[in-house]
Amino acid sequence: MAASQGFKTDLLGSIPSLRAFAVSLAQNADRADDLVQETLVKAWDKQQSFQPGTNLKAWLFTILRNEFYSQMRKRGREVQDSDGIMTARLAVHPAQHGQLDLKDFRAALEQLPEDQREAIILIGASGFSYEEAAEICGCAVGTIKSRVSRARARLQEILKISGDDDFGPDAISSQVMGSSAA
Amino acid sequence: MKDATKTATAAAARHGPSRDTLGTNSEIGRKLKQYYDELVSDDVPDRFARLLAQLEQAETAQKKD
Repeated sequence: MAASQGFKTDLLGSIPSLRAFAVSLAQNADRADDLVQETLVKAWDKQQSFQPGTNLKAWLFTILRNEFYSQMRKRGREVQDSDGIMTARLAVHPAQHGQLDLKDFRAALEQLPEDQREAIILIGASGFSYEEAAEICGCAVGTIKSRVSRARARLQEILKISGDDDFGPDAISSQVMGSSAA
Repeated sequence: MKDATKTATAAAARHGPSRDTLGTNSEIGRKLKQYYDELVSDDVPDRFARLLAQLEQAETAQKKD
């Protein structure tokens, strides 16, 4: 059947992006791949409800995100297990420059609440517009904007990068010292 | 996988100055893309291609019945 063949090819092509988003959300490679698998099965079952010509990636991200939060609810929102699987795996092929920096960045990203992390990933890395991200997350565009801006401010604070909004180095470093001492 | 980078760049261009806060001029924006691009370019395990082949086969079998 030609239509489902094309759908299958499109799904295959989406897997790298789906995995990247899943890892960003779950912060664990094994759980991320389970999420991707669940997403592919659901997408296959619901393929009739996908409207050709609309954004398949956004549709798939929505399914994956819903699956992630429904699993979180089932698990009673347990604390994310950062058991070092990703860190160990990524250390095998480090980035060409700034390996340590990226490790720091990953650790900082992990400290963000899920809603802020997914917002900054969708906007700053996956290439979605604010409107698309709002649709994926089922919230208002303004909510996405404020989550992105809070995520960015928090990352700057954790990583001690001075941003456009200047709180002054003393204020930032004392906040960072305060939180790390706690 | 350079597609994600291209998409992100195109999106950034499309949305203009309002996205500068996460653009290539920002340290956070650069790190974010570096983090994500590394994930996107990761090798995809065979299990997913096998899974889709199975789903397709199941569908074909059903139609024959």
